[in-house]
Amino acid sequence: MSTVVDIATAALFLIGAALAVIAGVGLHRLGDTRSRMHAATKPATLGVLCCAVGAALQSDSSALVTKLLLAMALQLVTAPVGAHMLARSITRRDEQHPPTTS
Amino acid sequence: MIGTSQVALALLILAAVFTVARAVRPSSSTGDRAVALDMATSVIQCGLFVGAVILGDGILVDIALVLGLLGFLTSVTVARFLERADR
Repeated sequence: MSTVVDIATAALFLIGAALAVIAGVGLHRLGDTRSRMHAATKPATLGVLCCAVGAALQSDSSALVTKLLLAMALQLVTAPVGAHMLARSITRRDEQHPPTTS
Repeated sequence: MIGTSQVALALLILAAVFTVARAVRPSSSTGDRAVALDMATSVIQCGLFVGAVILGDGILVDIALVLGLLGFLTSVTVARFLERADR
């Protein structure tokens, strides 16, 4: 039983870390600010969720699991809202001052 | 088990280096920097969760919780600033 939990934790951690690395590469390779935002917002929800579930599987105190659940819920609510506000302000700014170089 | 967590932590540090490199690159616009630093807080949050398992210390989860809220506040503040500021 404990081996199954350990393997699940390892897989979740590796998925979260791989998402973060792919998004980091995407930040450099994509050509537009909003395209880069598309890459950057993936680990903000799914990566953090994977790492938090992996940590929750390894902890034995219910207080820690509750804190992890709270962190997951807050991240699920705040990350899309923050990214949306950033994207909206970047779009409005580009409309008011079109970039001189493409 | 511990070995895999440390590999994940190394990958997360690599990702954090990528995001900070995007933020300090001279060709980035202010929006790029805001996006990159917003992602940096998420990556550090992942690293704190992995570090909590490696060290077996629950205080890192509290730090990650506060960091998530601070990251949201920063991105909202920078978004408001970007909307008002003239280039």
